[in-house]
Amino acid sequence: MGQRHTTRFCEYLFTILVVLSLNFVLPRAMPGDPFLILSAEHGEEIARFSPAQEEAYRRQYGLDRPWPVQYASYLGGLVRGDLGYSIYYNQGVTDILLARLPWTLLLVLSAVFFSTLAGCLLAGLSASFRDSALDRLLYPLMVAVAEIPAFLLGLVLLFTLAAGLQLFPLSGAMTHFADHGSLWGKAVDIARHAALPVLTLTLVRTGSMYLLARNAMITVLTRDYIRTARAKGLSPLRIFARHSLRNALVPIVTRVFLSLGGLVGGAILVENVFVYPGLGRLMRESVMVHDYPMIQGIFLLVTVTVLSANFLADLVYKRLDPRIGESAEVRP
Amino acid sequence: MRVGRLLLFFTILFLPTACDTKPPEATTERGATGLVIRLEGGDWGYPSPFAHYPRGPGGFKMALLFDSLLERDEKGLIPWLAESYVIAEDGLSYRFTIREGVHWHDGLPLTPDDVVFSLDYANRHAATWSYIHDAVAKVSAAGNTVTVRLKRPQAVMLDNLGRTRIIPRHIWEKVDRPKEFTASEAVIGCGPYRLTHYSKEHGTYRFTANVDYWGPKPRVGSIEFVPVSEPILAYQNGELDMAGVTPDVLPRFAEDSANTIVRNPAFWGYRLLMNVKACEQVQDVRVRRALAHAIDRRELVDKIERGAAVPGRLAILPPDHVMAAEKTRDYPYHPDQARLLLDQAGFAGKNDKGIRLLQNGRPFTLTLLCSAQEVRMAELIGQRLAEVGIETAIRSVDGKSRDAKVRGGDYQLAVIGHGGWGGDADYLVSHLVGDVFDPNSSPSASGSGGVVSPELLELLRRQAIEVDAERRRQLIEEIQQAAAELVAEIPLYYTAGSTMYRPAKYDGWMNMYDHHAMQHSKLSYLERTGPAAKRTE
Repeated sequence: MGQRHTTRFCEYLFTILVVLSLNFVLPRAMPGDPFLILSAEHGEEIARFSPAQEEAYRRQYGLDRPWPVQYASYLGGLVRGDLGYSIYYNQGVTDILLARLPWTLLLVLSAVFFSTLAGCLLAGLSASFRDSALDRLLYPLMVAVAEIPAFLLGLVLLFTLAAGLQLFPLSGAMTHFADHGSLWGKAVDIARHAALPVLTLTLVRTGSMYLLARNAMITVLTRDYIRTARAKGLSPLRIFARHSLRNALVPIVTRVFLSLGGLVGGAILVENVFVYPGLGRLMRESVMVHDYPMIQGIFLLVTVTVLSANFLADLVYKRLDPRIGESAEVRP
Repeated sequence: MRVGRLLLFFTILFLPTACDTKPPEATTERGATGLVIRLEGGDWGYPSPFAHYPRGPGGFKMALLFDSLLERDEKGLIPWLAESYVIAEDGLSYRFTIREGVHWHDGLPLTPDDVVFSLDYANRHAATWSYIHDAVAKVSAAGNTVTVRLKRPQAVMLDNLGRTRIIPRHIWEKVDRPKEFTASEAVIGCGPYRLTHYSKEHGTYRFTANVDYWGPKPRVGSIEFVPVSEPILAYQNGELDMAGVTPDVLPRFAEDSANTIVRNPAFWGYRLLMNVKACEQVQDVRVRRALAHAIDRRELVDKIERGAAVPGRLAILPPDHVMAAEKTRDYPYHPDQARLLLDQAGFAGKNDKGIRLLQNGRPFTLTLLCSAQEVRMAELIGQRLAEVGIETAIRSVDGKSRDAKVRGGDYQLAVIGHGGWGGDADYLVSHLVGDVFDPNSSPSASGSGGVVSPELLELLRRQAIEVDAERRRQLIEEIQQAAAELVAEIPLYYTAGSTMYRPAKYDGWMNMYDHHAMQHSKLSYLERTGPAAKRTE
C-alpha cells in the first residue's frame, strides 16, 4: 500500500520534471527571442531595438548565459517558489497568473457545470426514449453542435446577441469606470459579461458530453438491475436518477475531470473573441512574444492542473464504483 | 479573422435599427474640463518610459504622462520642455535651453539637472522607445541649458534626443532595473495627464488632466481606455468615441453627418526583401527591376486592403513622408517589360511549364518567406511572378521565426511589415545597409543589404552627419533616387486606413507629421496655444 503510493508519487514527480524540462527547452528552441523585433502584426506599433539594446536586455535577463546555467537558475527559483519575472509584462509571473486565473476559472467551471448538466439531462431523455422522434432529433443536433468551432460560435453569439439585440455586453469581464452601487450590482455585472463566453463554451461542450452520457446510459439501461427496477414499478424519474444516471457516472466524471485539466487552455479562443482577461489570452500572447518565464509559468500551471485533476479523478473513480479496487487508476 | 470580418460586415449592414448610432451615453462627465473621451484599450503595459510593452501603443500612453524636450505637431518637431536648441556645426553637440516653471506631478520643480539625469539614464539603460542608448558621450548642465555631446555625429539624434522622456531624478536615481520598476512613483512625470487607473488583466487605463500643467491647457478632462472586441461595433454602440473604420463599412458611417472620417497618413507598410547573398539571381539589377515590374502593387492594395492603402514606391519613403522625393524612377506593373529584362539577364530559356531556366538547367524558383498573416499577399506575388516565368515557393512561418530568418539572412525573398515609415529618413540606412559606420554590422538589421553602391553608401554616410536641414533633404532625395535605380527592396504598399469620430463630442484630433494615428498625438488632447499653436508656414 505504502509502496504503491510512493510509486505513484514518483510517477507524478517524474512527469513534472519531464514537463518542466520541455517547458524550458521548447520556448528557447523557437526561432528568435523576446527582443528580436523586426516586424509587426498588421497595423501594430513596434519599438525598434538597436543591437546594443538587444544585447543589454539579454544580459539583464540572463539569456546570454548557457542553457544549463539558465535551467539550473530556473529550477532553483522553482524550489524557492519563484516562477520568475515576465520579460514582456514586467511583473512577477505568479502575480500575473493569480490575477488571471479567477476569470478563467469562472468561465470554465461554469461551462463545465452547465454543459455537464445539460448534456446529462438531454442524454437521459435520449437514452430513456431511445429511437423516438426526440432521440432522432437530439442525436444529430448534438453531433453537429459538438463539431462547431468555439470561436465561430462565439462570434455568431457576439454579433447577434451582443451587437444586434444588445442583450449582453460586447466584451470584457465587467463594466469599467462604472459605479456598480453594491457588491450584488457588481456580481450581476460580472455575470452579464460572463454570460456569452460561458454560453459559447457550454454549447460546444454540451454536444460531446451528451454523446458520452447517452452512450453510457444506453449501456446501463440494458442491465438486468434496470429491468428489475422497472418490474418493481419504480417511476422513470427514479430509475433515471437513482439507477441509470448513477451507474453511468463513471465515464462522465472522468470526462469532467479531464475537462478541468484542460481548463487553462480550454477557453483560449473564446477569451480572444470576447476580450476576456483569462489565462487563455495570456498564453497566446506569451507564446507570440516569446516571453520565456511567462510561458514556463503558464505551462507549469497547466501541468499541475492536469495532474491534480487526474489525481482527483483517480480518487473519485474508486468511490463511485466500489467494484473498482486499488488497481484502478487514471494514469498521469 | 476573415469569418469575423464577414460577420461584422453583415451585422452592421443588416441591423441598422438595432445598431443606429446613439449618443455616447456610456461616458460620464468628469475631470478638469468635464469632458471624458473613451478609446479602445487593451493592456500595453505600465506606462512608464521603461515598462510599457515594445509592441502596441503603450508608448503613446506613456507620453501623456511624460514630456520630452521636443514635441511633434503636423509639420515637424516643436520646442517643448526645451524652449530652443542649437546644434553645433560638427554635429556632435546639441545645446538645449530648458523651460522654467515646470513641475512634476508630485509638485517638485523640474530642473536642468533632471534633464541631464534623464538623458544620461537613457544612455545607460535601454528605454523602450528611446534611441539614444549608448550614443551619448557626455551630458552637462550650465544654468538653464543642457549640452549633449555625442560619441559620433548623427543627424537623427535631434529627433532621438527630442523624444527621449524626461524623468524625475529624485525618483529614478536609485532604480537599477528600470524595466522592472512599476511602483506608483514610476508614472510621475511632468506631462499634461496623470495616470489615475490601470488594470493589467483588464487592459483599462484612465488618464486625468493635470490641472497644474505648465503648457497648453488639456482640453479633455479624462481619457479612458477600455477593452473592446470589435471597435466598430463599440463605436456604433456609443462605447467608444473614435475607431478605425474598414472600407467595407465606411460608406455606412460616411452617410451619417454625426461622424467625421479622416484618412490616416500611409505610414505603416509591407516590403519585399531580396537577399542577394542567398540568391545569386537577384544580384543582377535587371532581375530586381523585373520583379518590381512583375508585381502588381495596386492589385495587392485592392485585393488585400480593399483599396485602403497606397502602392509602394521604390524610392522607399512613402508619399506622405515629409522628405518624399518626387522625381524618382517608377516601376509600374508591366509584365512585358519584366519578361524583357529577364531575357536580357540570361534567363530566356523556359521549361514545358513556362518556368524560366537557370544556367544549370534548373527552373528559376525563388522561396518567399512570410508570416501566416501574409500568405494571401505571398500568393498574389507568386501568381504575378509566375506570369513572367519565375516560380515561387511560399514558406509561411510565425512572425518571430520570420524575423529570426531575416536577421540571419536565411531567405531569398521575404515579406515583412511594420510601422515607422513616417519617421526620420535615417531609417533608409537600416533598410539599405544596416550601420554605415560599423563595418562589422550585419548586412542589414532588417533590410536587404548587399546591393548598395559605393556612391549610395557615401550618400548615406553624409546624410547621417549632415546637420543642415536643407542640405540633408537634398541628400535624402538623392538616396531615394539611387535606391529606386538599384531596386534595393520593393515596398509593396503603405496602409492608409480611415478613422472616424464624432466632432460633436470632441474635435481636437490631429495627426503628427510622422505618424498615422490621431489618438496617439499628445497635441490631440491640448489647446492649440503657446508652444502647441498651429503653424501656418
